[in-house]
Amino acid sequence: MKSAKASDDHLRFLPWLFLAPALAIYSVVVVYPMVYSAWLSLFRWDGVSPTKVFVGLENYGILLTQNDVFWIALKNNAIWLVAALLLPTNIGLGLAILLNSKFRGSHIFRSIFYFPSVLSLAVVGLIWTWIYHPDLGLLNQALSASGLKALRRNWLSDPNIALYPVIIAATWNAVGLPMLLFLAGLQTIPEELHEAAKVEGAGPIQRFLYVTFPLLRETTLIVLAITAINALKAYDIIYAMTNGGPANRTQLLSTWMYFLTYNYNQVGLGTAIAVVLFSLTLIFAIPYIRLMTRKT
Amino acid sequence: MSQPLSKNTYLPRKSKVALFYIALVLAALLWFTPVITLVLTALKDAGDFAINGAFSLPKSIRWSNFGEAWDTGVKNYFWNSVFVTSLKVPVGIVIESLAAFALTHMHFKWADRVFTYILIGLIVPMQMTLVPLTLLMNALNLIDTLTGLTILYIGFGVPFGVLVMRGFFRTVPTAIIEAARIDGCSWFRIFYRIALPLALPAVVSLCILDGVATWNEFILAQIFLRSDELRTLPLGLVQFSTQFSTQYDQLAAAVLISVVPIVLVFLFFQRYFVAGIGGAVK
Repeated sequence: MKSAKASDDHLRFLPWLFLAPALAIYSVVVVYPMVYSAWLSLFRWDGVSPTKVFVGLENYGILLTQNDVFWIALKNNAIWLVAALLLPTNIGLGLAILLNSKFRGSHIFRSIFYFPSVLSLAVVGLIWTWIYHPDLGLLNQALSASGLKALRRNWLSDPNIALYPVIIAATWNAVGLPMLLFLAGLQTIPEELHEAAKVEGAGPIQRFLYVTFPLLRETTLIVLAITAINALKAYDIIYAMTNGGPANRTQLLSTWMYFLTYNYNQVGLGTAIAVVLFSLTLIFAIPYIRLMTRKT
Repeated sequence: MSQPLSKNTYLPRKSKVALFYIALVLAALLWFTPVITLVLTALKDAGDFAINGAFSLPKSIRWSNFGEAWDTGVKNYFWNSVFVTSLKVPVGIVIESLAAFALTHMHFKWADRVFTYILIGLIVPMQMTLVPLTLLMNALNLIDTLTGLTILYIGFGVPFGVLVMRGFFRTVPTAIIEAARIDGCSWFRIFYRIALPLALPAVVSLCILDGVATWNEFILAQIFLRSDELRTLPLGLVQFSTQFSTQYDQLAAAVLISVVPIVLVFLFFQRYFVAGIGGAVK
């Protein structure tokens, strides 16, 4: 009796021991700073002086009413998000359906389309910066060569359009993950279902709409959530390609947070932006976390 | 002569297959154009690039671009990245799999709550942590050290690592664990003699995904590394590009050097990418 009880007590404490290293470092490096950032967003502080002035929600008020770049960044984040939910997801789905059938070389094609996803966004940014170079870049040269000289642009230095070339570059990198997830999802759909639908006379489009797509529902939700969360995290590629310019027209909340905090010493405003960004992320993350923990 | 429009006879099967391949090859070529441009630029000299642009075969292949880029600083960046990655990945795997094991097999009452707590880290934007981390790293004298950066990477790696390892540990049958328990095997022995070997493919997958992510990380390196000789590759390359903005040949060579290890890992361990990402959504 006694030994069984001892082993029970032992058991209650032992999982914590297994969890301790991971929980400790994760709590110190991720969770505590998150909470502290939220707290700091209520202060006026330059990051170095010993006194922080408590100002309540004033920083949020300043952002909403006096900080034009905040609104540019917010709008850019919205555009980025919409593009991310439309482009990589649909291209990824299309490629997955195309490459799901086993034909000679299908693996090579999968690798080719996945490859940009293993490159760092800094590298992706640099490569595409050359492609967009006004004189030497491939894009303008290709436009000239094909008689479309009128479409040539200073892609990354024209304030009206600079965000879009960056989004294209980011899309090139972002397609791989949805493609892999959809491929994994497609492989769980039994071949017999398609055969049955074929026998019933369903064409390829009908088979997609009524067989494939409903069964990919969960994969689709995961893809949309992950894509949205990643889209809101975008930072490196902006830094590598435009650094927020020209004239702050390609700032995102993430980059503008960096500028305010580290270049202008506006720690209160910077952390307030971080909180806004995190709140936006939560809209997509809460359903995602529900989905991931549901099956326990 | 008009053909009947029935789908199967509209085109002979062979030409359908040929069309499919041609379309796919064209799409793949277009998709790969940026990579081809990069390789071509790295192989030609700056003059050739200025005259003929990026997308032409080099007049003569100039291997010395790589040596010059290497000597101009890429060497340092490269070894810094190697150091950080080879420290972060193994330490991370050990603590993440210990945690994931406790969450799946140890009849742990708090498992769901702890798992949800850990998942929060997957979604938090880095910006939400930067200021307090700067204060913390400053207080610990870890700013501008590769060790400090590695500690941050280990912390931020926990959520994804636990998620992947948990996904795989869940596929280890409880019966095996229970049998070992009855035989008097300690939990720690069960972990490293039974569960971990069974989850070996997951460990490999995680090593690769994690290694690539660490190799590519930018923002933490940007904030916490200050001196040039400590920079990791992504940060060093962006710096390199602002410093030598017109030397496209060397810059391209530098980028290519940074990508080579990733390409090798990708070629040899490709199926583990799929397995690892699959494990993360299971």
